[in-house]
Amino acid sequence: MVDLGGGVQAIDWLAVAPVLVVACAAVVVLLADAFAGPPRSRRQALVPAALTLAGVAAAAVPAVRLWGERRSTFCVGGVLEGPAACSFVVDPVTLVFWGVVLFGTAVVALLGTAAVAEGRTPQGEWNFLLLCSATGAMAIAASRDLVTLVVALEVVSLPAFAMVGLRRDDPRAAEASMKFFLVSVVSTAVMLMGVSLVYGATGSMFLTQVDQALVTGAGPREVAVAGALLTVVGLAFKVAAVPFHMWVPDTYVGAPVAVAAYLSVVSKAAGFVGLMLVLGLGLRDLAPVWAPLVAVLAALTMTVGNVLALGQQHAVRLLAWSSVAQAGYMLVPFAAVGAAGAAGSAGAAGSGAGGLEPLGASVGYLAIYAFVNLGAFAVAAVVGTRHPRQRLTDYRGLVREEPLAGWALVFALVALAGLPPGVVGLLAKVVVFSSVSSAVTWLAVVMAVNVAIGLVYYARWLVELFRPAEVPGRSTYDVPNGVGVAVGMTFAAGVVLSVFPGLLLDPVLAIF
Amino acid sequence: MADYYTAYLPLLAILALGVGLVVAMFTSNRLLRPTHRTAEKMLTYECGVDPVGEGWAQSHVRYYVYAYLYVIFAVDAVFLFPWATVFGGLGWISVGEMGVFIGFIAVGLVYAWRKGVLTWT
Repeated sequence: MVDLGGGVQAIDWLAVAPVLVVACAAVVVLLADAFAGPPRSRRQALVPAALTLAGVAAAAVPAVRLWGERRSTFCVGGVLEGPAACSFVVDPVTLVFWGVVLFGTAVVALLGTAAVAEGRTPQGEWNFLLLCSATGAMAIAASRDLVTLVVALEVVSLPAFAMVGLRRDDPRAAEASMKFFLVSVVSTAVMLMGVSLVYGATGSMFLTQVDQALVTGAGPREVAVAGALLTVVGLAFKVAAVPFHMWVPDTYVGAPVAVAAYLSVVSKAAGFVGLMLVLGLGLRDLAPVWAPLVAVLAALTMTVGNVLALGQQHAVRLLAWSSVAQAGYMLVPFAAVGAAGAAGSAGAAGSGAGGLEPLGASVGYLAIYAFVNLGAFAVAAVVGTRHPRQRLTDYRGLVREEPLAGWALVFALVALAGLPPGVVGLLAKVVVFSSVSSAVTWLAVVMAVNVAIGLVYYARWLVELFRPAEVPGRSTYDVPNGVGVAVGMTFAAGVVLSVFPGLLLDPVLAIF
Repeated sequence: MADYYTAYLPLLAILALGVGLVVAMFTSNRLLRPTHRTAEKMLTYECGVDPVGEGWAQSHVRYYVYAYLYVIFAVDAVFLFPWATVFGGLGWISVGEMGVFIGFIAVGLVYAWRKGVLTWT
């Protein structure tokens, strides 16, 4: 990185373009809403969502152009100061997450249009907050230093609190928002404590330099270990790993379905990418310390999530517990990093990957989970337009009376359970399973048992879908156009990926 | 590592001393002083005036918006002052960058203005 005289950094604009476009779209949405005044018609109320979709599409253009490239910007250091360290890196991991975030944001914006008819959610502000949060989620995937990472993670969370509670005169939404806020703030405090200890022990905020400092053994290792553990705990709150999951069911149920979908996919993905970057890039050398901890977290998370999902009668609450359990599966490959790393460094030292191969399974699982879970939430949003109480019995007759939504939900649930017609879900589980089975056998056994438990509640819901409705016509819906498109998008993505799973999994597994 | 922690020993001693002193002073005061409770003495002290009304009072809510708006400008001041000290070395590009930053902040003000927050209700 050449210093341009005045100390002003050169910026690779194409690399930051996708994030920048989303951020600017947020401002455009806010100003357009402020100057247009309160919507006078149903159509005008849809303008913010349309602008959001346009912004997401515009952000996808530079993201597609960047595909396959590696670019870094906001670098410090250079000829005199030693090797350069960069705050913002676009690599295949970044791009996969950008894809997930952009797809998720588009689907959530479409689901948000379900709230237009009711008129209790200010659409301009809601879409503004959605784009702001998405900006953070995109920034975190590219961040390569701890400050950028923490700030980006907060940019994801802060608008999300408001999105949860934005519905007027809804005490449950306000309560959900409050719980989410308190838990998230505490987790940020814990994480900042961890980050500051890591910084104190290694003398750098850049993940690459943190890694080097740990490898060379400069600085007190105990402090770095304490910092690493606190950071893991802080991020475990964000991804809702047990025992830091208490906020999830109440927040998902209290929030509008679209926001619950956002939290369970985009916000969770941001937490995971943060975990992946901090542990995989920065604290790789401490893997023997954190890998067993993450293994325990993973085992607890999937077991508690699945067992508590068994008794749920509320569809969104069931999805909330199921998403807790799914987070457990995503944590599984982390547990194998240490073991694989030991084998890797013994065999092929300096291969570059350094035993991070299992994380590819986590990325792949997360991406597939994002598509099918959004699908399940999309159909829940359809049902919610008529049955806001979201009992499982409200889903009776869906397949017969509303075939598209019904089959979309069947597909999503089958894929979440990991059964054959939903090939993506099955493959995701196989990928995760194979990443860990040889390294941490007990965790693979726990996971296998959990997949079996998961089948029970997904099947229970599936059975309701095929039962006839108690009153004929009770499961017919006047599906809002936007929500219909969202259902179609997620369904199509799931089916395409089931037929050609290599489209997603081949590049993802080749990353590390 | 041991040296590192011993360096904090004086701090711990001062902390213990401070807490101990306050506790000792209040305890000895309590033990030595005569106590005669009268209704007059148990009243809440409010600048020599008898307290009026309940402790649970409401203050006007319209000020909170101004508190929010103040935060917007407090935040940009945090960045403007350090920038001003190094501005000489950064040149005019940094003025443009600061303009972008201020522009983003100003969007908050424009939004507040359009939503009618700035008119006193």
